[in-house]
Amino acid sequence: MWSVVKSVLAALLGVQSNQQRQEDFSSGKPTAYIVTGIVITLLFILVLIFLARFAAR
Amino acid sequence: MAPKLPPQPPLQHSTTAVADGQAHGHAAPPKGIWRWLLTTNHKEIGTLYLIFSLTMFFIGGIFALVVRAELFQPGLQLIEPEFFNQMTTMHGLIMVFAAVMPAFTGLANWMIPLQIGAPDMALPRLNNFSFWLLPVAFTLLLSTLFMPGGGPNFGWTFYAPLSTNYGPPSTTFFILALHIAGISSILGAINIIATILNMRAPGMRLMDMPLFVWTWLVTAFLLIAVMPVLAGVITMMLMDINFGTSFFNAAGGGDPVLFQHLFWFFGHPEVYIMILPAFGIVSAIIPTFARKPLFGYASMVYATAAIALLSFLVWAHHMFVVGLPLVAELFFMYSTMLIAVPTGVKVFNWITTLFRGSISFESPMLFALAFVVLFTIGGFSGLMLAIAPADFQYHDTYFVVAHFHYVLVPGAIFAIMAGVYYWLPKWTGHYPNERLAQWHFWFSVIGVNLTFFPMHFAGLAGMPRRIPDYALQFADFNLLSSIGAFFFGASQLLFVLGVILCVRGGKKAPAKAWEGAVDLEWSVPSPAPLHTFETPPVFHRAST
Amino acid sequence: MHSWWRWLSVISLAMGISQAQANGWNMPIGVTDTSGDIYGLHMTIFWICVVIGVLVFGAMFYSLFRYRYSKGAKASHFHEHTGVEVLWTVIPLLILVGMAVPATATLKDMYDSSDAELDVMVTGQQWRWRYEYLGEDVAFTSNMSTPRAQISGEETRGEHYLLEVDEPLVLPINRKIRLLMTSDDVIHSWWVPDLAVKQDSIPGFINENWVKINEPGIYRGQCAELCGIDHGFMPVVVHAMEEAAFEDWLIGRKEAAAEKAMGVDREWAMAELAERGESVYQSICSSCHQVDGQGSPPAFPALANNEQLISDVDWHIDKVLNGVSGAAMPAFRSTLNPVEIAAVVTYTRNAWGNDTGDVVQPSTVAEQISE
Repeated sequence: MWSVVKSVLAALLGVQSNQQRQEDFSSGKPTAYIVTGIVITLLFILVLIFLARFAAR
Repeated sequence: MAPKLPPQPPLQHSTTAVADGQAHGHAAPPKGIWRWLLTTNHKEIGTLYLIFSLTMFFIGGIFALVVRAELFQPGLQLIEPEFFNQMTTMHGLIMVFAAVMPAFTGLANWMIPLQIGAPDMALPRLNNFSFWLLPVAFTLLLSTLFMPGGGPNFGWTFYAPLSTNYGPPSTTFFILALHIAGISSILGAINIIATILNMRAPGMRLMDMPLFVWTWLVTAFLLIAVMPVLAGVITMMLMDINFGTSFFNAAGGGDPVLFQHLFWFFGHPEVYIMILPAFGIVSAIIPTFARKPLFGYASMVYATAAIALLSFLVWAHHMFVVGLPLVAELFFMYSTMLIAVPTGVKVFNWITTLFRGSISFESPMLFALAFVVLFTIGGFSGLMLAIAPADFQYHDTYFVVAHFHYVLVPGAIFAIMAGVYYWLPKWTGHYPNERLAQWHFWFSVIGVNLTFFPMHFAGLAGMPRRIPDYALQFADFNLLSSIGAFFFGASQLLFVLGVILCVRGGKKAPAKAWEGAVDLEWSVPSPAPLHTFETPPVFHRAST
Repeated sequence: MHSWWRWLSVISLAMGISQAQANGWNMPIGVTDTSGDIYGLHMTIFWICVVIGVLVFGAMFYSLFRYRYSKGAKASHFHEHTGVEVLWTVIPLLILVGMAVPATATLKDMYDSSDAELDVMVTGQQWRWRYEYLGEDVAFTSNMSTPRAQISGEETRGEHYLLEVDEPLVLPINRKIRLLMTSDDVIHSWWVPDLAVKQDSIPGFINENWVKINEPGIYRGQCAELCGIDHGFMPVVVHAMEEAAFEDWLIGRKEAAAEKAMGVDREWAMAELAERGESVYQSICSSCHQVDGQGSPPAFPALANNEQLISDVDWHIDKVLNGVSGAAMPAFRSTLNPVEIAAVVTYTRNAWGNDTGDVVQPSTVAEQISE
């Protein structure tokens, strides 16, 4: 689970080692990555909204 | 023997796959015009796309030159403001929808099957249909210039209500043309996704694909996501104009700002549609001529995905002065600034690829290197534009014009030209005339900078965009820009000359035309026979 | 809090950018606190970009020069390094955060239009601005005053070519003024670089912005959003005055307005109306219908020898008052006063061979407006 989150976060930043991606792509379950990706994207948007609201006060 | 370089491993293709190319009993193709009208071959359709795009590039370029000729001096000399507005509008529409996008689709048609070892696109008849929609769409669009009341005159962003209640009678034709072009793009994108996901050579996983294929895969998803939004917004315009609805008409309870939200929700991913495949091309060319594997292949793929995701979250940075609430301004300012991070990663990766390489400067490499520098300058002005308070001064000035021309001309268009010079040996079997190509390169670089760099100053000094005449203090900048534009336009004739000469003859190219090239397309003979990879090649991954 | 990046902009000034400023190469520092803040942000982000550019392009050109194939460079084969990648992700991120903090502060300041002492309604119209001093009973439109002959090159162009108007917006200095923006037709954008105010004026919306000018002077700008054929000929001129001078001006305007209203009731002579009408026609109508009344059909019909216009006075007045829906002709009932409308109608009915001999009195127009 943690490794999935870590990989998705690395993807968002555009930072990933080849070795790590080899491992990711040999685990063979894309669904987990896609779902985590969507969840983290939503979280990212929420954080940005929260930041903007906080800054606007 | 090429060194073992991930992520583009050395290939041991079966020679039979190539040799068999034309041995099978294919029915003789129809002759003459029917061959081109009915072709389902990805290479022929790719060629059609590229020729179409080049033609439109010159038509759109002539429109730009009309604009620049009028702006050569203060005052109205050549054309009326009404025609001036039609020219700026048509220049934008033609360059975006008929020159840059079809050029990338043409390159995708030619190269994606070759790069993944597929015999053709997944849906060949659909491919033919997608292409032939384009001449229909743009003949229709260009014909509006000859209609009573003239063509579209409301800018390529066609903001309502200028384009609805106040638009010329030909606006309905404009909407229809854009619908047809949009269908073509969506069908093309479906075809590309189907090809990439289903037709890779055995053994080639997604993470083994060349970056051009990767960036096109992401681009195709972007196209499918946003083209329907464009279709929706122009349909709402159609209803407002012809059926008495009031989506964007404030007098009828509608909302002109809604138009801009919808347009830019399409429009911002659209600019990434026009730049991601360029990233792919540059990521193929730089390693080839630096003779060194691409630095950070995985991060390049992930950065592409990150840029694509972020592109859906930043649309309102085009609308900082429409009166958004403070929270929205802050949200879009932050998200826009964040796009600089993955974009920066790409630039850093290209430069690190050069570091400790063995670099030679053939024409594709020159264009790719100019891309890196000049696109980055466009990125810097983009970062400046992201600062919302400063954007109150930059917005809708020539500073913005300079910014997006830097990312589109020495960005997208230089990448396309780099790709053409890079793959011409594969398409024609001949190297392009290197001396001519170098002249073309240097003239283009000088022309581009002479045209667009002074626009930064004109914008900062206070010149709004889309005006046919200007105050006297902007005269010097405009004089330089106009001279540069004609110089750039003329030097593109060298490009056409180079391509024609290359098709007709030249130094013979081997299958692997460039010493450092490693992708699958270099395993088939040059010129590539009409049918390739009818037996899938065996793809060997380098062990990392 | 803002001091560190103001300090940075001082360095920028010292480094010769002041030269560029004087030459009209750079964004103006302007005459409000906000415009100064924005200039500071602009220069800060500019120098950040310059520094990054020098580093990045420096590394690139070093590599290009040092590792030339022609000099026998041998390629090494490294292709990733997570540490470096993390570093060049995190450093830009920190720079961006550092940039976002002052930008947020400035933006919040720009959005706070509370406690304004004067409200001015700015209405965009194709292709002029209408200014209304709310609660003061003063309102007028502001048209470009550059003659068409200068644009076509028949006359020498003046110093403020395209950036001059018949009636500038007059504002007091040192007072917080709230600007309320809206539009009667398409979207316009009211922009004066020296005040750092750029705000879209949108039909059906009222946008707020504010300005507090520090120095008296005349500040010029333009419409920034494409709004039709005369988008390039829609300047904004702000005349900022000392507060006492502004009060005098305001009183003068009110008296003049009262005088103008009187003109509606008296009987006007043909020559008087035609003369007034010609100047109205030149500044308002001629951009579409042309100076010679020939228009450019079909979008802009000819007025000369126009059968319907010649035969029907009431139809003619109605079109000028209310415009033509679905076509480019705008409604002028709020832009022009009855005297001006009567004058321009009289002029049109007697120019270019339209020899109807009709004299339309301002009182007739005023009646038709009140109907």
